[in-house]
Order: sequence, then C-alpha cells, then structure tokens
Amino acid sequence: MGCLKIMSELIVSVKNLKKSFKGFKALNDVSFSVYKNDVFGFLGPNGAGKSTSLRCMLSLIEADDGHIEIFGKSLSKNRFEVLSNIGSIIEKPDFYKYLSAFKNLEIMARISGRQVSKSEIEDIIHFVGLEGREKSKFKTYSHGMKQRLGIAQALMHNPELIILDEPTTGLDPQGIVDIRELIIKLSKEQGKTVILSSHQLSEIEMIANRMVIINKGKSIIEGEVSELLNSSQMMVRFSSDDPEKFCSILTKEFSDIADLKVTESEIEFEVNRENIPEINALMVGQNITISGIEQKRKLEDYFIKMIQNEK
Amino acid sequence: MLLKNTHNELIKILAKPRSYIGFLALTVLIGVILLAMKADGDNFISFVTASFEQTLSFNGLILNGNLIAFIILQMLIIHVPLLVALVTGDLVSGEAAMGTLRMMGTKPISRNSFLLSKFLAGAIYTFFLTVWLAFLSLIVGQFMFGTGDLIVLNSDGLVIIPEYDIMWRYGLAFCLAYLSLLSIATMSICFSVFSDNSIGPIVSTMAVIILFTIIGSLDVSTFDYIQPFLITTHMASWRSLFEIPVPYDAITDSIIILLVHIIGFTLLALWWFNKKDINT
Amino acid sequence: MKYILILIIGLFSGAFYAQDSAQDLLNKVVDKTSLVNDYSASVLIKPDVPMIKSLPVKAKIYFKKKDKFKVVSKSIAILPKQGFTDVNVFLSNPKNYMVVEAGTKVINNTTTRLLTVIANESSSEIILAKLYVHPKHYVVLESEITTRSSGTVRVNYQYSSQLSYGLPSQIKFTVDVKEFKMPKSFSTNPHKSGASKKNKRKTGTIVLDITNYVVNKGVSDSIFQK
Repeated sequence: MGCLKIMSELIVSVKNLKKSFKGFKALNDVSFSVYKNDVFGFLGPNGAGKSTSLRCMLSLIEADDGHIEIFGKSLSKNRFEVLSNIGSIIEKPDFYKYLSAFKNLEIMARISGRQVSKSEIEDIIHFVGLEGREKSKFKTYSHGMKQRLGIAQALMHNPELIILDEPTTGLDPQGIVDIRELIIKLSKEQGKTVILSSHQLSEIEMIANRMVIINKGKSIIEGEVSELLNSSQMMVRFSSDDPEKFCSILTKEFSDIADLKVTESEIEFEVNRENIPEINALMVGQNITISGIEQKRKLEDYFIKMIQNEK
Repeated sequence: MLLKNTHNELIKILAKPRSYIGFLALTVLIGVILLAMKADGDNFISFVTASFEQTLSFNGLILNGNLIAFIILQMLIIHVPLLVALVTGDLVSGEAAMGTLRMMGTKPISRNSFLLSKFLAGAIYTFFLTVWLAFLSLIVGQFMFGTGDLIVLNSDGLVIIPEYDIMWRYGLAFCLAYLSLLSIATMSICFSVFSDNSIGPIVSTMAVIILFTIIGSLDVSTFDYIQPFLITTHMASWRSLFEIPVPYDAITDSIIILLVHIIGFTLLALWWFNKKDINT
Repeated sequence: MKYILILIIGLFSGAFYAQDSAQDLLNKVVDKTSLVNDYSASVLIKPDVPMIKSLPVKAKIYFKKKDKFKVVSKSIAILPKQGFTDVNVFLSNPKNYMVVEAGTKVINNTTTRLLTVIANESSSEIILAKLYVHPKHYVVLESEITTRSSGTVRVNYQYSSQLSYGLPSQIKFTVDVKEFKMPKSFSTNPHKSGASKKNKRKTGTIVLDITNYVVNKGVSDSIFQK
C-alpha cells in the first residue's frame, strides 16, 4: 500500500496530538501524515476535533501533548519558517469589514513572510474571480465572494501547503465546482499539497487521494482513499414492486453481493459497479418491475460505518 | 515584522470611524469651552480670584489663552482617557470578535511582535490625540484670547506665572499628559487581550478610571496607603509644572509610577497573549 | 511796657501756631497733591502676600485729575483693592470728614504729626484714616485707612525726585489676609495634601517702586477707557 508513498516527501507529520479545554478532551491522540502533492481529506463528525487539530497545526492553539512537524521542521521551534509556507482558511474567512478587499490582502501580504507585490495581489484577485470588486469594502461582499477572498489570501504568497477548512460551505453549485477544480489544479498543476477538511463527502471522494477519519479526538483510520473505499465496489439501491423475488434471484445469480438490506419496496446492497446493468437486465427479464436505481455514496456509507464502529 | 504590522495597525486605526470620534469630541468640547469663555469668561475668572478680591485687585490680562488652555486641560482630565480607551480597548478584542485574530494568528508573525505593534500603534494614536488637544487648547486658545501671565489656583494658593515662563511648562505638561494617556492606553489594550468582545475592555477601562478617581479624591485614611500608587492620582501630575518652584522630585515620582504601570500592563498583556488559545 | 510787649509777642506766637491746625495741615497736604493735574510713571510691583506666589511685575500707571487712575500691564499685577485716588478724593472735600490731631510718631528719623480723619457720613466707604504727615514737606509718610469693604490697609510712603508734587517713589501696602481660605473641594494636586490650609501669616505686603514720573505733560482720556 504505502510503497510508492514512502518515496514521496513527508510534508506534515502529526503524532499523538492531545488537547483539553477545561477538562474536556478535544484531542485525545490524533495522528496522521500528509505527503507532497496530496489532496488530503480530513474527515470527522461535528465535534470530532478537526478544527482543533488544524488550529494546532497553525499555532492558533498550543497542544497539551504530541508533536507536529511540517516540512521536516518542528512547528514550535520554527514557527516563522513553517507558517511562511502555509496558506490557510480556518472556519470562515474573516477580514476587516471596513477595509476594501485589496487593502485586506495588502495587510495580510505584509506579514505573510514573503515579498508580495501589488501586481501579485492583483493577479490573485483576478485568479479568484474578484476583479472589479477589489476596491469594495469587505462588508459588501456576498458569502461566495468572501470565500474567494479567503482563498486569495491563502494563495497569494505562493505557499507549498494549503489548509482549507470546509471551503465550499455556503457556496452555490457553481462555486463548489470552481473550488473543486481549483484544488485539483493546485495539486496537479502547481504541485501544492492540500489538506481539506469538509463535510461534503462527495467532494472528498472526488478529489482527495488520501484521508484520515477522526472521531471524539482520535484518529480512526488513515490511508489512500481508493484502497479504503475499494471504489470498484459500491452501494446501490433498487426500487422494485417485488423485493423478495428480486433478492432471491440476486443471491442465486451473484456471489459477490454484500451488506444486503431489504425493505417493503427497496433493496440495498454492495456490488461491483460493473454488475449493475446486468442485474437490471436480469430483473427486467424476470418480469420484476424496477422503478428506480440509486448509487449510494460509498464514502458516506464508509464514514458512517467507521463512526458507528467507534461507538 | 514589528514595524510592518505597526503599519498595518495604523491603516486599520485610520480606517475605523470610531478613531475619529476622539478628535471630533475634543473639537466640539473644546470649541464649546472656548465659546463659553468668550461669552462669560470674566465671571468664571472671578471664581478663581474671589477669595482674594475683598482685599486685593488683579490687573492685567487675566483671561488669556494660557489660562484657557489650563482650564481646558483641567476639565478634560477624565474625558480624554475615555476617548483614548474607545480606540485602544478595541485593538485586540475587536479582532477577536471580528474573527480576524484567527486569520492573523496563522501568519508568520510572533505573538509578541503582533501585540507590541498594537501597543505601538495605540501609542501613536494617543500621541496625535494629545497633539490635537494641545493645538486646540493652547494654540487656538491663544489665537482667540491672546497671551499673558497664567494665574493658577492650587490647593495652597494662587500662583501667577509670567508669560515668558509659561511655554516650556506647557511643553512638559503635554508630555506628562501624553504619558498619562499612554498609561490608560496600555491598560485598555491589556484588558482587550483578556476579552473576546469589543465593549468589555472599554467599559472596564472607564470603570477603573472612575473608581480610582473617586478613591483618590476621598479624604479617608483607609485609602492613604494606596492613593499614591493609583494611576489616576498621577494623571494630574502635569499640574505640578505650574508651581513655583516646580517640584521636580515629585514629578519624577509620578513619571516612574506611570512608567511602571505602562511596563506592567504591557508585560501582563504579552504573557497572557502568548498563553492564549485563539478559539474565535 | 516790656511785659505787655512780651505778652503780645506770646499771643501772636500762639496765634501763629494755632493757624497750623490739623485741618490746615491737612489742607496743605491736599493742596500739594492738587498741583498735579496728571502724571504717568513706571512702577515695579513686588507682592509678598501669603497664599500668592508671584514674581515682580512691571507696569505703567496713569493719573488724571480728579479721580482717573489706570494701571496698564499685560502681566497680572496684584494691587490693593483700595484705589490710589480714593483717599485724595475723600480728603479734597472737607465737608466729608472731621480731622483731629492725635499725637506724633517718628518715622525714618522724622517726627510726623498724626492726623485722625473721621468720616462724617455713616455711609462713606472710608470710615477712618490715620495720616502721619511730615510737618515741613506736607506729605504723608504713613497712613492707616479703614474702609467698609476692604478693612484696614497700612501704607508707607517714601519720596525722592517728586517730593515737590507729593508723589512718592515707593509705596508699601500692608494688607490683612486672614480672610483668605482655599476651598476644600478644589481639584487636588497630587503632590500636595489637598486639605485646605489656613495661612499662618496674617498680613502681606505689596511694594510699588515708582520711577520715571512725567508730571503735568498731559495724559489722553483714551487711556482710561477700558
């Protein structure tokens, strides 16, 4: 599994991270590794400790225990060097409401650890699609525009590592697509490493190559998305007027069916995606009416299964 | 990085509407006082000399710009600190409330530099507010009322300072006034570090000023021990520059007390800000 | 015959001295000062009054008959409430008062004659004036003036170049200051106790050194307008 990745450069190493707030254990042994060019999915239910972990990585919070190394350097001892090479959005992007977008970026640029010229700021504004609105005050921006500006400040100093905490929250479908394409571009074309925390499991499934799932402050599982999800297998739901007969024929003809669930009008099971058309044709041939076929998101199912196992 | 972020802080201060409230308030307040003095200043002066006028008469230009400036400084000693706190009390907590503290906290700037740049920007803002106060009270006052000797009523009598002997006193007095205001600014920034909302530090600073002023003015032996160390006790130390002779030792003590407050508040703020988890 | 001559001479001598009565002496003093129609002079005012700290102040004084008086100074000059001309105006009309001689006093090696002037009107501002008059030069060397509003002020006079006009070169006022009290609630100075202090000295002095007199050369009325 990890043979190829051993050769890739380790960008982020988080080991045994622990953090308590007034007796409450927000992080209780979080560990994961991120390699160069990864689009790394950071998953967990609400309150799992995702934001806390990311805040620790960005030195907003000091962990009680554990070790964080980024670019091969200890974060606590090389804060300036490390943070100079990271761009991030934690929770929602907040800027100075009374300043224009351009002024906000100038302020961030001044303390980004690198020289960022005015023309580079203009370029990044154009890149995120905010040209023409850079002089407007931040308070006049829509949610989508604020998100774009957040991405602009994360990218303008050309960092190697980008940390995005739920970047598509509140965006319209086009906005979501734009962000997804941007992340892919950053990773594939510009060779950047992206850590992406999201509740949009479909997004993670589509763009992340590695991921970790955490729950109740602990890492549950980490690895390649494709290997974890075995994406040739997927969950499918058939709607039928005769589920019993459907099941009987299905189990007789196909041996690699798993997780079979039957209700009054639906049959749900895990199967190799290549077999779906064949199953459909077989059932129709047996005069079983098929009123609907739904491909369930594998990751969603996997995620819920992992979380429930932890319970 | 300290200077770069100080530049940032000054941009932010200049862009905030509340930063101009102090200048506007001073202009209006001092304008009202100047007009009132123009209209009825002689009656006000008679309060100063009333005790002596049974036996003595005072000749010459008593109501002049130098006296007006003194009266204005006396009146505004409580109010100007509040105008300072309105801006400086918001420097950290305002960012926490807005969420920008989180954004800035991820940048490669040390927390010490980040906070010290706010102290520096607050000090610069306070400086300009003091300069504006000096301009309106002294320069505009002299323009409207002319110059002359300064008659000052202290707790042990009248002091009449010749015109040629005044300006250097005012120069030092405004320096002392600036130091007093700077101590208030550092106190409010320190409170701001402990809070995540905008209003708390400003109200706390106001409350401290009012409470310490009341304690300082009470003639109760219980408070005799702490009165010499209260920040508000020494905020009026500029008045000692208008004594004959000037009590330099006592003024030096006041300067030391104020500097101790400034350094103390700064160190406390730095300590807590470095410890603090940025959860907003 | 010889005895009658001695008696007549004695009577005339007595008559001669009897003419230099208190009123006559006072009239001579007043007549001398009335030679002055106007004057201007430079004055250095040196106050030494408890509860007042002030450096010497230079001023100009102007006078014009009969009661116009003005102190011109940009600096703040402290002077006694009792005006320079009040006494002279009071004394210029004999109907205002009665005068009796009440003894002598040696002042600066001069035996002065004490004239006690009592106001006739009960409503007069000046109630009583004690004037110690130089018997030959007809100038007042010391006075104690009691007024209704200002209490008693003692004044000492020295003369030099303007003796012929009765204009002093130095005037020293001694004023009663026991009424001066500072309000307790006044703004405190952090370096003082802040409690009201009663002054321990009961009197203060204001010394005026007057020089550069210009007498009877004309003074414009506009100077006396505020």
